[in-house]
Amino acid sequence: MNFLTLFARAVASMRYNKTRSFLTTLGIIIGVTTIIAIVALLKGLDRTIDQEFSSLGTKTIYVQKMELQLGLHRHRDFDEISKRADLTVEDAAAISKLPTVRAAVPNIHRDLGTLKRGIYEADECTLTGIGEGGDLTGNWVVSGGRFITRYDQRHRNTVCVIGSYVADNLFAPGEEPLNQKLDVDGHRYVVVGVLEEKGASFGHPQDNQIFIPVETYVKYYSLPEGRASVFRGIRIEVLPDEGVTVETAKANVEELLRRRRGLRYYEDNDFGLNTQESMLSSLNTIRSVLWLVMVGVAGISLLVGGIGIMNIMLVSVAERTREIGIRKAVGASEFDVLAQFLSEAVALSSVGGVVGIVLGLAAAAFVSAVTPLQAAAPWWTVVLGVGFSATVGIIFGIYPARKASGLNPIEAIRYE
Amino acid sequence: MAERQEAPAARAALERLIELAGVSKVYDSGHVAVRALADIDLQIESGEYVAIMGPSGSGKSTLMHILGCLDYPTSGSYFLRGKEVSQYGGKRLAAVRCREVGFVFQQFNLLPRLTAARNVELPLLYAGASAERRREVVADTLAKVGLSDRGHHRPNELSGGEVQRVAIARALANDPAIILADEPTGNLDSKSGDELMQLLDGLYEMGRTLVLVTHDDNVARHAKRVITLRDGRLV
Ligand SMILES: Nc1ncnc2c1ncn2[C@@H]1O[C@H](COP(=O)(O)OP(=O)(O)OP(=O)(O)O)[C@@H](O)[C@H]1O
Ligand SMILES: [Mg+2]
Repeated sequence: MNFLTLFARAVASMRYNKTRSFLTTLGIIIGVTTIIAIVALLKGLDRTIDQEFSSLGTKTIYVQKMELQLGLHRHRDFDEISKRADLTVEDAAAISKLPTVRAAVPNIHRDLGTLKRGIYEADECTLTGIGEGGDLTGNWVVSGGRFITRYDQRHRNTVCVIGSYVADNLFAPGEEPLNQKLDVDGHRYVVVGVLEEKGASFGHPQDNQIFIPVETYVKYYSLPEGRASVFRGIRIEVLPDEGVTVETAKANVEELLRRRRGLRYYEDNDFGLNTQESMLSSLNTIRSVLWLVMVGVAGISLLVGGIGIMNIMLVSVAERTREIGIRKAVGASEFDVLAQFLSEAVALSSVGGVVGIVLGLAAAAFVSAVTPLQAAAPWWTVVLGVGFSATVGIIFGIYPARKASGLNPIEAIRYE
Repeated sequence: MAERQEAPAARAALERLIELAGVSKVYDSGHVAVRALADIDLQIESGEYVAIMGPSGSGKSTLMHILGCLDYPTSGSYFLRGKEVSQYGGKRLAAVRCREVGFVFQQFNLLPRLTAARNVELPLLYAGASAERRREVVADTLAKVGLSDRGHHRPNELSGGEVQRVAIARALANDPAIILADEPTGNLDSKSGDELMQLLDGLYEMGRTLVLVTHDDNVARHAKRVITLRDGRLV
C-alpha cells in the first residue's frame, strides 16, 4: 500500500470521528500556533529594532543620569537617580576636549504641542536645545542651509534648524523656509537650516523637532527638576574620534566624569554611559525570555498533545481490535497494521499542525496589522511546525500501533 | 472416516496441496488446558471439495484456523504445497493468508465502516495491487457473486446472504487456490444458503480447492469428501 493511499485512508478514518479527532489535536494546534506566532513576533521585533537602531548613531555614546536598561526600575531606585547631579553644558565642553572624542553634544528637549505660523500648524512639535556637532551624533543630514554652529552657541543666537515635518507643515508648498522667521514660545527665531526626513525611532517621530543652540535654550528655559530630570534633563551625545573604539572613548569619558563629579574609587557611577550595544544587550535578554516562553509553551502543549494522541490511539486500538483481526485474517502483515495506526496518529497530529500553522500565521498578520511590529513568520517555521507535529504523531503513535500490530488475528476477531 | 473421493477426469493430475502431520492444538488458558486438536494427519489434494463435520466443540474451527494460517499448531507440521508453513514467521504467514487462502467466516466479519467494494479491496491492498488493478478486480469479483450494483453499500445496508457473498468476493480477490469456509451458511436462511452453495459449487467447477465446515448434511452433500472430527480427532 503506498504512502498516499495510507494517508487518505487515515484521514477518512479520522473524519469518522470528527469531534474526537478535533479535541485530540487541540494540544498540537496550540503548540504549533505558539511556535509560529512567537517566532513571527521575534522576527518582527528583530526587524523593527534593526530599523530603529539604524536611525541611531552606531558609535554614539549617550551620557545620561541613568543607565538605560529595558526592563523596569523600582520606584526607590528612581528617587535615588533623580537626586543625582544634572549633567551640564560644561560637562559636554570638557568631554569634547578629550583627545579620543570627536564631538560631545549636549541635548535637551521639551514638548511644544501644536505650533502655529499664520494659517499653518504642525502638531506635537519638540523644541531641542543642541550643541554644535549635533548633526554628526544624531545622524542628521542638512538638506538646505546649515546646522547649529559654535558661533551660534557663543552668542546665544536665536536661530533654528527645523525637521522636515516642521518644514512641510509650517510653510506653504514651494515656499523656502530658509531665513524666514519662526515664533516659538514667544521667542522669534530665524530658520538657518532644514533637515532631511529621518522617520520614527522606537515609535517616536523625529522630524518634528526644532533645533536651537543649547545655550539659547538654557537662557530661555529653566532645567527640569526631580524625577523629570532623569529623562528630560541634559544628556550628552559623544562621538568617538576617527579610529578610536567606542570602548576606549567610553573609558575616557567615564574617568573624566567621575573626576568632575568627585566620585571616590569605591563609589559607583552616578551617571549612565549608554551605547547602542548596551541597549541591545538588554533587548537580547527580553528576546531570550521570549524564546524560553515559546519553547516552554510549545514544548508543554506538544507533549500534552502527544499524550492526547497516544491516549486516543490506544482507545482506538481497543475499539477496533476486531477490525485489526479481520485485516490480519485477509492478509495484512504486522507492518501493514503498524503503518495504518501510525499513519492515523501522524494524520491527526499533522492536521493539528496545519491548523496551528494557519492560526499562527493569522496571529502574526493580525499583529502586523494593528501594531508597528512587522511580525512575519519565516518559511522555516512552517517546516518546523509540520515537522514537529508529525514527529509527535510518530513518537506517541508508535506504542499504540505496535500494540495493534502484535495482536493474534483469531484472538482479535473473537475480542468483544 | 466417510470418504467419497471421485476425482473427475479433468483433475487427473492431482497435486498434494495440504498436508497435516501429527498436528495438535492445545489452548492453555492458565489453569485448564483444552486439547482442541489431537494428532491430526490429513492430506488434501489440489482441486478437492472437502466438508468437515462433527459435533460442536470437536475442533472444526480450530482446524480451519490452522489451515488458514490464522493460528499456529501447538505441535506437528503443516505443509502447504510442500512448504512447512507452520515454521513461517508472521510476515511470511501474512503473505500466505493474503495470496494463497481465502477465508470465509460464519459471522461474515466484514469491516462495518467500509463499503462492500472497500471490503473486497482489502486483500488487494495488502497484496500491493495498483489502484487501477484494484478497481478492476473489485468490479469483476463483485460481479462474480452477483453484487455489481451494491459495491458502495455498507454491510449494515445489505442482507445476510448479500453480506456473505461480499465475504466470498473478498476471499476471492487475490485469486487464491484454496477457499476455506467455516459454516458459511450457518447464519443464513435456507434460500440464501442454497444460493451460496451454488456459488461455492461454481468455484469448485472452476478448479479451486474448497474446504468447508458444516453441521448441515444437505450442505455436506455438495462436497466430494466428508471428514468427521470428534473430540479433536479424525474419525
Ligand atoms: N481461544 C480459546 N481458548 C480456549 N479454548 C478454546 C479456544 N478456542 C477454542 N477453544 C476450545 O477448543 C475446542 C474446539 O473449539 P472449536 O471452536 O474448534 O470447536 P468447533 O468444532 O468449531 O465448534 P462449533 O461447531 O461450536 O463451532 C472447544 O472445546 C473450545 O472450547
Ligand atoms: Mg466453530
